[in-house]
Amino acid sequence: MRDVAERVMAPLTGSLVDVLVGATTDVFEKMVFRQLQPRNTVWGHAVRPKSQIVGTVGFAGSSSGLVAFHASMAAAQEITSAMLGADGDADSLPDAIGEVTNMVAGAFRTRMAAFQDAWAISVPTVTIGSDFYIKPISTGDRVLVTFAMDAHELFVELIITPHTGATV
Amino acid sequence: MRFLIVDDSSTMRRIIINTLAKLGYESFLEAGNGREGLERFGGGGIDLVITDWNMPEMSGIDFVRNLRSTPQGKSVPVLMVTTNAANADVAEALKAGVNNYVVKPFTADTLKDKISAVVAHA
Repeated sequence: MRDVAERVMAPLTGSLVDVLVGATTDVFEKMVFRQLQPRNTVWGHAVRPKSQIVGTVGFAGSSSGLVAFHASMAAAQEITSAMLGADGDADSLPDAIGEVTNMVAGAFRTRMAAFQDAWAISVPTVTIGSDFYIKPISTGDRVLVTFAMDAHELFVELIITPHTGATV
Repeated sequence: MRFLIVDDSSTMRRIIINTLAKLGYESFLEAGNGREGLERFGGGGIDLVITDWNMPEMSGIDFVRNLRSTPQGKSVPVLMVTTNAANADVAEALKAGVNNYVVKPFTADTLKDKISAVVAHA
């Protein structure tokens, strides 16, 4: 377990990704009633997921950065309907995706708090569109994890910048 | 029994209200942040409060602290439903006056059990 904490302060590694994958699949199993299948994991800034709705939650503390959740509109509609049933109309879609992002980031934060001071996290922001991407201004590390939800492809992105002198 | 649900996510408020409705409860008030929550609670008639932690304008933890400083809010049961689940978070929430705690993501059964436990002590 300590291994994970030490790696937070270094460039992203598989252990940190495992924590992110665990947090994401747990949220979908309990709140969306869907089993996610992790697919590809890509490090670096080159790959930009094709998505139409993105939820982001920032965090700060001994490390800083953000967690972003990317989906197509069709996938977002399915997620919203699964969470809200008959109440899941188009108006509730951005809020539902914001809440999914909030829970993924929060579950990730909680799991990481076992190894270091708990981060402060922001309230979620949701962006809808088709011709944009997230470009961090920090020099942080980035990882993008692809998941399959039935026929849909979902993406969870983590950008993290360890702070100099941070303690575990 | 009348519930006040304080959460900036309308999705989460709906999930909580649907769960309460399945338990047979029918009377709910909603608020989108702690400041609105205090206003709604000030109107009277609230038997149990369910609140999130991370919200704009006024957080859930500040909402509970403010609530506990009022004569009407001193003893009302408060259930916190939040992603903040580190040990330090739980300790801070209990110190602020939260009676019970549900960590997101949660199963429907967990939420029902926690609500039932808080209602039993209301």
